[in-house]
Formats: sequence, C-alpha cells, structure tokens
Amino acid sequence: MSLLRLENVTKQFGGLVAVNNVSFEIKEGEFLGIVGTNGSGKTTLFNVINGVFFPEQGRVFFNDMDITRTPSYKRAPLGIGRTFQIPRPFASATVRENIAVGAMFGTMGKQLNVDQSLEVADHVIERMGLGKHRLKSAGLLTPVEKKLMEIGRALAMRPRLLLMDEAMAGMHPNDIDDMVEMIISIGKEENIAIVAMVEHIMRAVVGMAEKLIVLDQGEKIVDAPTDEALADSRVVDAYLGKSGETKDA
Amino acid sequence: MNSKLKKYYPLLPVCVAYLILFLVGRNVTGIWQLVSTLLFYCALGQAFNIFLGMTGYVDFGYVAFLGVGTYGMATAVTGLAGYEGLGVGVIVIGFALAVIMATLLSMAVGAVALRLRGAYFAIATIGVNEGFRYLIEGANLWNGSSGMIFTAELNQILGRDLAGRVMTFWADILVLIIGVAAAVVTLLYMNSKIGYALTALREDEDAAKVMGIHVTKFKIIAFITSASFAGMVGAASWALKTPYVFPPEVFEIHYTIEAIIIVMLGGAGTLMGPLVGALIYGVSKYYLSIFLPGFQLFIFALVIIVIIVLFPEGVVGVLKGKTRNNRLKQLIL
Ligand SMILES: Nc1ncnc2c1ncn2[C@@H]1O[C@H](COP(=O)(O)OP(=O)(O)O)[C@@H](O)[C@H]1O
Ligand SMILES: [Mg+2]
Repeated sequence: MSLLRLENVTKQFGGLVAVNNVSFEIKEGEFLGIVGTNGSGKTTLFNVINGVFFPEQGRVFFNDMDITRTPSYKRAPLGIGRTFQIPRPFASATVRENIAVGAMFGTMGKQLNVDQSLEVADHVIERMGLGKHRLKSAGLLTPVEKKLMEIGRALAMRPRLLLMDEAMAGMHPNDIDDMVEMIISIGKEENIAIVAMVEHIMRAVVGMAEKLIVLDQGEKIVDAPTDEALADSRVVDAYLGKSGETKDA
Repeated sequence: MNSKLKKYYPLLPVCVAYLILFLVGRNVTGIWQLVSTLLFYCALGQAFNIFLGMTGYVDFGYVAFLGVGTYGMATAVTGLAGYEGLGVGVIVIGFALAVIMATLLSMAVGAVALRLRGAYFAIATIGVNEGFRYLIEGANLWNGSSGMIFTAELNQILGRDLAGRVMTFWADILVLIIGVAAAVVTLLYMNSKIGYALTALREDEDAAKVMGIHVTKFKIIAFITSASFAGMVGAASWALKTPYVFPPEVFEIHYTIEAIIIVMLGGAGTLMGPLVGALIYGVSKYYLSIFLPGFQLFIFALVIIVIIVLFPEGVVGVLKGKTRNNRLKQLIL
C-alpha cells in the first residue's frame, strides 16, 4: 500500500502551469529524491501535498484517504510534516518552543500536553545536536541552523511523511553528508517516508535515495529507481554532462 | 510540583505593582482620581494584549467591546430597578450581561473579519466600530443617540450610600480585579497549547497551519477572551463609575488608539507589558496635560514611532532580553 499517492495533479498560477499532470507514489519508510531545476515546480508540488494550495486537477491520497481538499492544518495530524525552502521559524519563540509546537500539533498532538511536548522537543534537540541553541530565539539562528531546527520541528510531529524542500541548500558538503545520514537513520528508526527536493543531483541525496523523480517545467520526466534514473539519457543530458559525474553543489 | 508553581512566578510582579498602586491611592490624599485612571488603563491594556499582543492582529474597533459592556451593565441596572431585593446581585447580572454581549459581538465580528489577514482585518474593524455606533443611533437601540442615564436606578437598587461608594471606590476595585484576572488568564494561555499556537500564528501564519494549527480557531479564542474582558472593563469603569452611556463616548476610537499605545509601549505579547505601558502612559499623559496641555497626542505620536523603530518589543520585551541570563528571568514574562 502506498503512503502518499498523487494522481494526475495539475496546479496552475493564472496561465502558468507550475505542476503539470504529475502522478507518483511513495511507500512507507521510502526515501525519495525529487530533482528539478529552479522553477520546475518542486515547491509547488510540496504545497499541493501539504495543502497550502489545492490543485485544479487530480487527486492526492494519503493512506488511501482522499486529502485533495483537506485544509493544511488537518494534514499535519495525519502525519505530513515539511520544511521550507526559505526557513520559517517562529522567530520570537525559542528553539525548544518551536520544536515543541511540532509535537503539540502533530500526530501525537492529542496525547501530549505542553510539558510532554517540551520533553519531546528536548529529545529531538539532543538528537539533532542543537543543544547549545536550545533556549535561543529561533530568529537569531544562522540560516543553516534554522534549517536544522525546522527539520527537528517536523520530526517532533512524529510524521509518517517528511517533505524537505532544499533542506541542504547553503550547507557545506561535509555537513550535508552528516545531515542526510542522520535524517535517514531517524527515518529508518521511525519508519518515516522522506521526500527530499533538490535543485542539483547531490551525491548525498542521490546516493541514499531509493527512487528519483525528475521534474522539468512542471512535468515528471523520469520516475525510476535511482541507478536506472541516473542512467537515463535525459538525466545525463540535463544534469550530469558528458563526464557523467555527480555534482555536490 | 515546584516547577508547576514556577510557571506562575511572573504573576508576582503583577500583583506587587497592583498592590503598590492601591496603597498609594489609599494613602496619598487627592491621588485616587489618577490611580483610578491608571487602573482603567492597566485593565484595558491587559485585556487588549490577549488579542493584539498574542495574535499580532490589530483591532481598531476594540472600544466597541467596552461600549457593549457598558450597555450590558446599563441594561441590567435599568431593567431590574424595580427589584430592590437584588442589591449587589444586579452588578453580578450586569457583568454577566456585559460579558455575554461582548462575546456575541466578538463572535459575529470574528467569524467574518478573522478570516482576513493582518491589514485587511485592521481596516474591517474600523468599519465595525463606526457601523455599530450608527446602528445604535439609527435603529434607536437602547435609546439611540439620547443614551441612557441610570444613576437613579442604581440608587434605587443599592441605596444611595452604597451606590455612591460603588461609583467612587468599588467600581475602581472591580477594574483592578478585572485587570488581575486578565493577567492570570494571559499567563494560563501562555502556559498552554493556546499560547504556543498563538505565538506560532503571530510569527508566521502559513507555517503555523502547516504545523497543524487551526489558526482561525485560536484567533477566535483570543478575540473572544479579549473582548469579554473589555466588556467587563466597560461595565465597571464606564457604567458603574459614571452611570450613564452615550454612543459617541463609548465608541470613541481614541480609546482603541490608547490601548494600542499602552500594549506596544509596554511590550506586546508579554505578561507585564500592558501594566508597565499603562503606568508610563497614564502618568505621562496626566503630567503632560498639566504642563503641556494640548500637546499630549503629538508627543505620544512621536513616542510610538520611536518605540516601533527602536524597541519593537517594548519595555518588558527589552527587560526580558536583559534578564535572560540571570535569576530575575523567572519573574519577567
Ligand atoms: N504562489 C505563486 N504564485 C504564482 N506563481 C508561482 C507561485 N509559486 C510558484 N509559482 C511559479 O510556479 C513555477 C514553479 O515554481 P516552484 O514550485 O517554486 O519551483 P521550484 O521549487 O522547483 O524552484 C515558477 O514559474 C514560479 O514562478
Ligand atoms: Mg523551490
């Protein structure tokens, strides 16, 4: 059974078709990479999956439940968590409080009171290595720390599906490796399906992803297991150049 | 247990401030009038902060809730004047009516306006206040523009002596109690999921939704709570202190502006902020009106610009930053 399934989803902005007739599915605990150049519709696709926008056409299913028109605040408790391309921390609140918000309104929200949510936050903070920023206002973090905090905030929701929009942008390649490794190990432990969106084919992401989807101008042009996808001529032409080497940027 | 109690430490400075205010008022001759004004500003700021401070939404029609609260008390007193046995019970009924009316109005306004974002909400609320005032006058509700004068009825139910004491003293004490109660509710909210949800939506409404927060629900909770306290402030400070009500006075937008200044000056969204803002604003307004009559508004306009530019988090916001690393931090919220 698929965890998330999109069927022929189209999202337009006026005359611009940002996502064009896209279908795909993710299984529980799967790690999926979505690659596409700037403007290819990745962020819009996330916005459709977590309900920021409703699509003009097509359906979105989560656990076989049709959520195409479910408001976004009802999707988090179902288990859809995300991070943003440009981090959106609750700036005046501390890192601990930000992450606790994830626990409070996520899949465990009904069971956890405020103190228990803060405890969950403390565990996540430790796991993410954010300990020394615990009581700092989130607005004062560096962009990379904000990204980490957002991942923590989403993980505190105990999601079934984690959508990461350019989570590694702006990071040092070594840090990217560490972070991807950490996220994947948390994902495996807790059986979280992860969708990582990236502009470039990054070794760290591609190396770990079980499946790759390539978007081009809103359309899905490739959807295959990673090694097959990397051998696809369209991917080679668009991303890998003649040398066939993957980029890290 | 100890850590549970710690959450309520920030109420200590609030209570101390009110106690000092009360003692100064009782013991310094001729100052009760000023203290009474300050108590009004404190309660007004504390009530408004639950909405403006905690959600970041500006309601320019806020004074309408004080207005309907005043009408609530006025309606109770005039309607029940025949039941002399009621005694102070009439005041309890008056408060209940004030709260019910403010709640109903806030539900009606909130259900529509709170779906609007930031500036659009602010503009819509200006219309609500003016519209409501013209409705009362035009439809001749509650005597329309002739207003209601109910000193005689208050005397009739409470007796002349007690009615006099209510107007000159007990009304102010009730305002004090309302101010403290609003502070307690603010802290309860801050320590609960409601407070976390409000902080999240104030900082980033779209991100809050994606995190699973039903933002409209929480905005309405803050709005209704804030409005019902405003209704009580109107009932105590306007109806009981001066037992008459005229639409142009109780729907006067400058009270909303004052409330905004108080909350911003003290620190929007903080517990102590409205109190600090009210004291600074009230005292300086009082002395400015003596030494520089006519210039108060101009000076406050400058002050508010300076605050917004230099200290957007207000006096208490700055204090909170400064005490983050010492023992005082438990007290300042
Ligand atoms: N809210 C919006 N309103 C109008 N156009 C948008 C909006 N969001 C995205 N777009 C457009 O949709 C296309 C896809 O954008 P986006 O999904 O952000 O791509 P990516 O994340 O892959 O860079 C772009 O042409 C972009 O300008
Ligand atoms: Mg994007």
